[in-house]
Amino acid sequence: MPTVTPTLAGIIFVAGVFAGGLGGLLGLGGGIFLVPFLNLALGLPFPAAAAISLTTVIATSSSVSAARSKNQVINLRLGMLLEVATAAGSFLGGVTAQLVATTTLQRLFGFAAIAVAMITMVRLNRRNVILDPTADTGLLGGRFFEKESRAVVSYRIKRLPLALIASFVAGNLSSLLGIGGGIIKVPVLNAWCGMPLRAAAATSAFMIGVTATAGAVIYYGHGQLVPVLAAAAVLGVQLGSWGGLHFGVHAPVKWLKVLMVVMLLVVAAMMFMKSQ
Amino acid sequence: MTTAIDRLERIVGRSLRIGVATSSVALAAGLLLAVFGDDRVAAVLLHAGVVILLATPVARVLISIVEYARERDWPFVALTVIVLVELMASAVAALFFNRQVK
Repeated sequence: MPTVTPTLAGIIFVAGVFAGGLGGLLGLGGGIFLVPFLNLALGLPFPAAAAISLTTVIATSSSVSAARSKNQVINLRLGMLLEVATAAGSFLGGVTAQLVATTTLQRLFGFAAIAVAMITMVRLNRRNVILDPTADTGLLGGRFFEKESRAVVSYRIKRLPLALIASFVAGNLSSLLGIGGGIIKVPVLNAWCGMPLRAAAATSAFMIGVTATAGAVIYYGHGQLVPVLAAAAVLGVQLGSWGGLHFGVHAPVKWLKVLMVVMLLVVAAMMFMKSQ
Repeated sequence: MTTAIDRLERIVGRSLRIGVATSSVALAAGLLLAVFGDDRVAAVLLHAGVVILLATPVARVLISIVEYARERDWPFVALTVIVLVELMASAVAALFFNRQVK
């Protein structure tokens, strides 16, 4: 554990700005970039890096969901149902993280990064919207105003058990690795469960606050969260994701996805080298 | 039905906004004090900021339970109570680990 100095806090703040900015650009929390930087570049122990990243996930989830809490783009009912699975997953992950070797966690992170890179490459961009605003949405479906269609659109939820399993796995990886887990839920909800991308991303961002809290509390109680470094990271990520969301609208999506795939593969390679 | 959803959305949004704003202010003040001033006050502010940050999603779950109970939507009262219990289980696990370490 390096000594906590103003310089270290400053570096972490800047890293937070970059991770949050990239996350905002790509529609992610940024933990997938922040954890490797803290762990590999700054030499923080893996649990300390994961704990700091989880606090930034909570902050991002809260501020993004607060900003989006109109127009019903967040599916609150589905979100609260899936939280049952995701909180159970992250509770178990948080407990097992204390028992699993760091090299195992690093390898797991490497695999997760490669999986995400592959999903991004082949990501289906199905839209899943029903243009009739009065269509029957079932118990858990929803309707919201979609900018692309310039109208209120509806959708139905399919394969709920799959959504629950994905949420559990996402919760588990979240507290083990210090990431939000949206990276797993959003593609599954979008490609297989019938949710439009915008609603899937908003609902996932809403849920990761609870997911990350279940994990972060355990690290905090264990004394693995350094508050001053968490403060630097949280404030940096808040600033960065605000900037990323604003510039993300103008950036070409294809170029962003290629950038993300390259960065994820670099992260995976670094994690595998470190875990030897 | 739509108005009930709107109401819950509004209340949830407001509670998240208040939580994240309060904790960001405490964390920013604590960070500045840690660099330029009093370490002890800084530590109090930083821990307060972290605790408020962690408490925000918990408060949001509590508020949802109350709102679903108001709507007499019992299945969702039950689901949100389960989420709250899981969060509490994590807090209990945290205390347990804390005791083991110290």
